[in-house]
Amino acid sequence: MSSAKTIPWPAVPIPKPEEVYAGLSDQAKDYPLFLESICRQSHNFEKPEALSRLRVYDTTTRMMIGHWCSSMLSELGAEVIQIEPPGGDPMRKLTPFGRKEYMFTDKETGEPVGAHFLHEMRNKMSVTLNLETEEGREIFKKMAVHTDIIIENDPPGHRDSLGIGYRQLKEINPRLIYCWVGQLGQWGPHKDKPGMLDPVAQAACGFCHGTGDPKEFGGTPMRSALWMADHVGGTQAAMGILAALYYREMVSNEGQFIEATSAEAIIRILDYSWAWYGMDGSIRPRFGNWDLAINIYAVNPCKDGYMMVGGGHDRLWYRIWRVVGDEHPAVEEDILGDPHLREVADRLAMNQQIKTYTMLGEWLKDNSRSDAERKLSKQQVASGGVLYVNEVAEYPHFKYRGHVAETESPHYGKILYGTTPFQQHKTPGRLKWMGRPTGYDNQDTYRRLLGFTSEDFTRLKQANVI
Amino acid sequence: MATDTAVSKTPQISFEEFCRKTFDPKGEFAKPEALKGIRVLSCTQYILGPSCASYLAELGAEVIKIEAPRRGEAMRHTTPFNEPFLYPLSKYVPERGTGLGFLGANPNEYFCSIDFHRPEGQNLVKKLAAKSDVFVENYRPGTFDRWGIGYRQLSAINPRLVYQWLGGFGGWGPGRVRASYDILGQSQGGNFGMTGKPEFMGGSPAKHTIWLADYWGGMMGAVQVLASLYYRDKISGEGNFIEYSQVHGVTRQLEYALPLYGRHGITRERWGTWDTQLCVHGIIKCGKSSYPNSDNPQESEEGYILISASGDEDFARLCKTVGDGNIASKYAKADARVKAEAQLEIYPFLEKWAADKTKEDVANILDKANILNQPVWNAKEVATNPHWQQRGAVRWLDDPYYGDLLHQGPGYKMSQTPPRLKWAMKPVGADNESILGKLAGLTPEDIKRLEDQECI
Repeated sequence: MSSAKTIPWPAVPIPKPEEVYAGLSDQAKDYPLFLESICRQSHNFEKPEALSRLRVYDTTTRMMIGHWCSSMLSELGAEVIQIEPPGGDPMRKLTPFGRKEYMFTDKETGEPVGAHFLHEMRNKMSVTLNLETEEGREIFKKMAVHTDIIIENDPPGHRDSLGIGYRQLKEINPRLIYCWVGQLGQWGPHKDKPGMLDPVAQAACGFCHGTGDPKEFGGTPMRSALWMADHVGGTQAAMGILAALYYREMVSNEGQFIEATSAEAIIRILDYSWAWYGMDGSIRPRFGNWDLAINIYAVNPCKDGYMMVGGGHDRLWYRIWRVVGDEHPAVEEDILGDPHLREVADRLAMNQQIKTYTMLGEWLKDNSRSDAERKLSKQQVASGGVLYVNEVAEYPHFKYRGHVAETESPHYGKILYGTTPFQQHKTPGRLKWMGRPTGYDNQDTYRRLLGFTSEDFTRLKQANVI
Repeated sequence: MATDTAVSKTPQISFEEFCRKTFDPKGEFAKPEALKGIRVLSCTQYILGPSCASYLAELGAEVIKIEAPRRGEAMRHTTPFNEPFLYPLSKYVPERGTGLGFLGANPNEYFCSIDFHRPEGQNLVKKLAAKSDVFVENYRPGTFDRWGIGYRQLSAINPRLVYQWLGGFGGWGPGRVRASYDILGQSQGGNFGMTGKPEFMGGSPAKHTIWLADYWGGMMGAVQVLASLYYRDKISGEGNFIEYSQVHGVTRQLEYALPLYGRHGITRERWGTWDTQLCVHGIIKCGKSSYPNSDNPQESEEGYILISASGDEDFARLCKTVGDGNIASKYAKADARVKAEAQLEIYPFLEKWAADKTKEDVANILDKANILNQPVWNAKEVATNPHWQQRGAVRWLDDPYYGDLLHQGPGYKMSQTPPRLKWAMKPVGADNESILGKLAGLTPEDIKRLEDQECI
């Protein structure tokens, strides 16, 4: 069980505005201070929420795509009710390497929850309902009247066969926006491949095959450490939902059916892979931490880790070699003297990339991440080290801007978390609370939506319906 | 409890057939568009900003992309290994082409060229912004403000404008002057350092192959634009300013890493192709290539497959299929299997079993045992897969400028207002006459003069 002990965060104090903008002229300070005045999260609660009139039922379990999708909506102000089976979404039990001591525990009931699930339960309420029972489905149909959006991820056609799919619920609530999310889709030859969570999608869309080092460098196909395709797929689903909402409000007054898959979301953003194959049969190869289409644009080893340096066009190209040339004049001379490296496009050939990065490595091996960044930043070249999570948590810019923050949960104590990137002038996203124990909102929700009585609660709980 | 009578209607066709009809990519153009009538100015370059506008273009918005005159934006000059290009770059530079790096971030758009540095160009931007709903830009913070075409100036002209800025670190705070690109966002946001094999397996941090922080960041921007349009048109009547930092976005997705660090001081490490929270749920090597005679190294190398059997029953069935009682009993419980030491034993054991098999062999065996698996498909296997073809995820496009292109479709489907693909892109400034004539009142003579001066 988790102890209440937390490590001190921030370990190093967050910089103050007067330190950040010290020594700048009024003119130079003007724009950043204007942005701070309209975007700082400390003003968030003085402002309205874009989606506060919406209600969402997230009825997904066992995957992240649906939870990610509903997080996008809950951060923007929608009332998201997480409908879980009695006992909770199995995702609640996940914890790295099975270590229960890493879980967060509700102070009142002692119920544990994994950090991953908790991080995605922001601003959501938890209600339990067993859709595998007849009575649970009857309750769900009554609840469907009261919502704008339903998200689900059951196996294709399952809800339809239970009489609570899109086709049935749209008859009850024609304004309903119904979104199915999954890995591969509800129709098509692979629809019945047993659905599970990411990285199924990452493997099925070409992402894994193209990520990682080439075989010659000892590499294999690689997955994202994160359930990345679910994040991207969930974002696409949220986009579809908001487009449907806009159309409903402005034009049709009717809802619609949306289908979003993690695999297709990544296929959409696998840039030129398809056109390249279509033109000449090329199969996108793995190219490690280099880029197939831009040079210089890569992460390479340096003295104390790994360093990103980027600058594809001429202006930055010469600046980068000038920085290198300060310490290795011969390298600068060699690169700038090479007739095959003069044109931007010529630098993209594979052998030229090998030459370029080998010589850049000569310089990087004697420079730490911060040394390299300092020297390149003077020339306005984009550069930065690969940061680990302890460094991310303490990075001054992120702390100052609130990319990382700590919240005090009434259930789970202090939680360090990644804040919403929805920073805006008028209707910013925000965190109101982080996670609820399973079924915490049953009483309020069922009473206000369906008029449940105390007897209803007792009976339905005994029958394992809620 | 009473049954609603409306629900008792029996569906006439199977659910799969219903979905196939509802989402058929061939039916997209028979349906209306969600964002018809919304005009977007996309003053963007690279991927983060352009992709944001392109998602709106898929939904039917009239997106006007504005680039530097003649040679266009930088991304047109990027292409894998300097091989494939699409000609021409523009009518002024016919001997050059646009690189494939530009594809996917600019479909369905109109293409104008304006030099933002010049007062005459800035005036044109103001005229266009006065008649637009959304303004997307990803120049360094404050650049447009300095040019007199930033949020402060444009919102005074058009208070209903939704102004979306996207970039690396955001325009305030100690790192506000830092430039950023996708892999810098990945590096500093934290997902790069967690991806790849750990050092003891011979690995290093690994880049996500796609420009993920860009393409996905653009999506996060588009989500906010849609919410802002809804709020403007339904509630407030006012525009908005949105500042999206791609590093911030990446930090948002680190799952349990920050809570775990904050509570226990533990730094999430890399775990290769396996999963830290489920086992079996990882990618293993199959010893035999599926295409041993291919001269393409992408095909001749060994195959890989994702195997998932994290539940106790599934794992028992997997062990039975693979034929081992020892591992089965030792790791019968999920809690025991997911431990790091257990994973280090289980996956090599599975790889040993797969050493004389192709990924298809393994898939066939596991399919029969009803164990979830997914071969790691390469780009060709995805592009030629009937599943993705039927669903329109990858489709042939008859492009008016560039001919037949194999292209990705939209990443999600809608029954009433489906997103769709109309054309892949156009040459630089292709729509100068029609758009600048229509919206800024330029005559053909104006257009010619400004083009000659390279102002447009």
